[in-house]
Amino acid sequence: MFHSTLTTFLLVVPLAVLTYAFDTFSEELLLKPLGNDHLYAHFQFATKWDTDPEQESFRHTHMFPRALGEIVARYNVQELHVSLTAGLWMYETWGYPIMDAAPGAELWVWFKEDTENVDKNWKELASSLSGLLCASLNFIDKTNSINPEYTFKPRGAVSSPTINSTFVRYSSLPREIVCTENLTPLKKLLPCEAKQGLGSLLNAGHIYNTRYHSMAIHMRPICRDSSCESVSLELQQSVSLVYDLLILEAKHWSFRKLFGQGVIGRCVLAETATIYVDTTNNESVPFQLKPDPDEYVTSFRGGYVHTYAKYDVQSYVMSLNANYLGKNKVVLNSPPAIYANQYITGYGQERGGIVTTIYNNHWSPLDVVFLQNIPWYVPIYLHTLKIDAGGVRIEPTRIHYIPGRQRERPYHLEVLVKLPARSITSLSIDFDYVFLKWQEYPPDANHGFYIGSAVVSTILPLARNYTGLPQDGSTISDSFNASRSGYLVQMRTESTVITLPTPDFSMPYNVICLACTVVALAFGPLHNITTKRLILIVKDNEHFIVKLKNKVVGIWTRRTSE
Amino acid sequence: MSRKARLLQAKDEPYETRTIISMYMLGIFIRCWLIYSKYQSIIGHHVEISTPLNSWKRVSEGLYVQSKGINPYEGDLIHEAPVILLLYRILTQTFYLPAEFLFLLVDSLTAVVLYFVAKKYMFHLFVFQERQKGEYAQDSKEFILSGADFLNSPVFVMAAFLFNPYTIFNCVGLSTTVFHNFFLAIFLLFMLQGNPILAPIALAFSAVMSLYAGVLISPLFLYLYVIYKDKVRAYIALGVFTLTLVALTCFSYVLGSGSAFLKNVYGFILTVPDLQPNIGLFWYFFTEMFDHFRELFICSFQINATVLYLIPLSVKFRNDPFLLTTAVLFLVAIFKSYPCLGDIGFVMSLFPCFMHLFMYAQQGFLVGVIFLITSALGPILWHLWIYSNSANANFYFGVTLAFAIAEIFLVTDILFAYMKREFCLKYGSERKIDGKEAILMLE
Repeated sequence: MFHSTLTTFLLVVPLAVLTYAFDTFSEELLLKPLGNDHLYAHFQFATKWDTDPEQESFRHTHMFPRALGEIVARYNVQELHVSLTAGLWMYETWGYPIMDAAPGAELWVWFKEDTENVDKNWKELASSLSGLLCASLNFIDKTNSINPEYTFKPRGAVSSPTINSTFVRYSSLPREIVCTENLTPLKKLLPCEAKQGLGSLLNAGHIYNTRYHSMAIHMRPICRDSSCESVSLELQQSVSLVYDLLILEAKHWSFRKLFGQGVIGRCVLAETATIYVDTTNNESVPFQLKPDPDEYVTSFRGGYVHTYAKYDVQSYVMSLNANYLGKNKVVLNSPPAIYANQYITGYGQERGGIVTTIYNNHWSPLDVVFLQNIPWYVPIYLHTLKIDAGGVRIEPTRIHYIPGRQRERPYHLEVLVKLPARSITSLSIDFDYVFLKWQEYPPDANHGFYIGSAVVSTILPLARNYTGLPQDGSTISDSFNASRSGYLVQMRTESTVITLPTPDFSMPYNVICLACTVVALAFGPLHNITTKRLILIVKDNEHFIVKLKNKVVGIWTRRTSE
Repeated sequence: MSRKARLLQAKDEPYETRTIISMYMLGIFIRCWLIYSKYQSIIGHHVEISTPLNSWKRVSEGLYVQSKGINPYEGDLIHEAPVILLLYRILTQTFYLPAEFLFLLVDSLTAVVLYFVAKKYMFHLFVFQERQKGEYAQDSKEFILSGADFLNSPVFVMAAFLFNPYTIFNCVGLSTTVFHNFFLAIFLLFMLQGNPILAPIALAFSAVMSLYAGVLISPLFLYLYVIYKDKVRAYIALGVFTLTLVALTCFSYVLGSGSAFLKNVYGFILTVPDLQPNIGLFWYFFTEMFDHFRELFICSFQINATVLYLIPLSVKFRNDPFLLTTAVLFLVAIFKSYPCLGDIGFVMSLFPCFMHLFMYAQQGFLVGVIFLITSALGPILWHLWIYSNSANANFYFGVTLAFAIAEIFLVTDILFAYMKREFCLKYGSERKIDGKEAILMLE
């Protein structure tokens, strides 16, 4: 009896283990000097889970975080992209980041095709994510979400070639602030948390001492292999930082100065754990790395060559130092092929304009898709949209415009433009300043209201200053030698603040009284006119008061009688 | 003849046609000069002149968005009725009329129509006076209107329309109240002519543009019932009005592709969601309103603007429906949700019809001074609030209140003056009962 139970048990357990889907985790850190005095540090944590996303119930998870899995399963999410950013990525001087992110919080999601009520799922997903990430994503609802038509296509694998854009939602909250309480949940989603491996470098006191910091979670289904007969679920978590070495007084940077400590061992669950240091510019701005790298990797991509120093994270504590040799040099940087700025025009609080300037430094015309998600309290006039390239008016290829309604939905503007070669194109549109009800102003009303950043998407033919991951790659090493026919860039511009005219918040009672007084001033006489009639009444000169009054007045008005 | 006698005689003579034409041309010239000058955009941007309901910028936006295949009523910017939007589209795109020329044309037509309106009213007054002569007291002969009054009033009405700064700015600022005033003027003309078909049609067009004009059905009914003494015509007018309204609404359904326009046009006028400042009382009141009480006050303000004074005044002034029309129009212009200077200017240009009442009006000086001061102070305080950031909303609100008070004083004064004149005509100007001094009182 016991013997048969034991046999069954011994047979069942391996079977259970064999039916379990296989997942891998890899972590990487890329350190890239930007110009003379900035350092770009990008942490990339990628989990690839060979399970069918359509059928996975997320009950048994291994390295994929269950907290996120349950949210994704409950709201029927196909792709999830959320980022929390503070600071501005300076495209002009730093090139393109590995992942673009808008200032504040940004969330865009593709729902599965069988979702019944996308708006309901969207709102509840935002609320759940706000709980997961300790960010105020619960402010995302229909009044600030749009349905992008051209800009946000699925990044992962899709089952049919036709894409129905009713299942995508995009929203951004430019006012969001990122701090330690957002970093801690992100670290908790990692398999090794912050105890071992590269996650141990994420110390809030040091990484928020940066000019730009962004943390993002991207989840999508990808092809399991090159034949793409089955689909896996991929989760990328990233932390992007740009250090200003002058502020840190760390021209010769080291892990201790950047992160406060070295890497505490290697995450035992990680399949690969590597550190890459970009040494492409080592001829112009030479620096020496200590300890010596394990090897040097060369990447030919899109016509440009990059060399990286590669370190495998060891099981002991390790730290990197870089010493800059020679004198301080000023490095001339050539701007990237395309970058954009956004600003507000006009003076006073009655009307203004939003202008987005896109600089095309490429030698051929580029097609760009320009997306603007304008809040409902900034009503724009589409007939004032002007696209101007070097003084010449150009017509957009297509405009997709959904007008907004006050307190209901934002203004959704997507413009497809062909930028002329080597030009500066500006898209300008006029708007009015609205007057809100006094309770709709936030506590600090004169801080202003935010207009989110615009998204300018294009596919570059060259990979100059480009470090982005290819569409089928999940790790930084996947981007080496990954030459493709085009390189997708989705730049975010600055977010802007406008100050709406405020009423006097201390006046509700006074205003009601005064306005009602004026109404009463009309009511009284009109009531008299319509309900009374004119009659002649004898003047009452016998009444004592009247006699007294006549006597007093008569002192000054007595006339000599004729 | 001595010079004094000649002057006295000249006052009683009608104006020459040549003078009238030259006055008309001068009025048109002023508008023309301003509308093609650099001041046009400054004037057109003032909130006193362009409100969300009558701004030509929004009409351009609506026409552009429509040409791109997007329903203009999907968004929140366009508040013109579909029929009227179609009219603008035909005028600007099919006939390629530039907007400035269009506004000049319509405004000049309105001036001409108002001349004939006043002429007809004076004729009615004359007929009424002749009929009532028997009932007047002996010593009230001086209050009876004479020939010159009847002939000069229309000229003064046209002059009041042409040279009133409010109407000039209304036209120059490209605000579609010009069209609304034109429809109202046409309505007044047909009402005075007793036309039971065309007057309600014109009124229906005005009502489709701005809901408040619908209250004028009451004076129209009274006019046909009391002045023309034709009950059949009165009821026909009622029926034609309702029918035209229904027809225009159905047509709007077809044009505006669905019922989205109802919320944007009529829902907008009634529920006041946009709190852009204007010369009315609604905007600051509802900016500072607790949401809990919003519906209550919306209802009470809308009733105040439409029916509250309409019924009692209709009963009281049933013998002079034109005065009733003017009073009701003025009250609507004061208390409507998005008033503008064009509404006020139009009604003020009708006042010279009642020149015979001016001698009984007591508050003319006060009203005039308040109008002058508030018209000058309003834009200054607006600039201080919005551009200089030194004043705040209360200053502009105060000016708006003073302006409303002046308007209220004006309308109540004219109505009181009418009552006093009626009393004097009937009982004479002697204020004595049995030899004792007496005063006129409301009882």
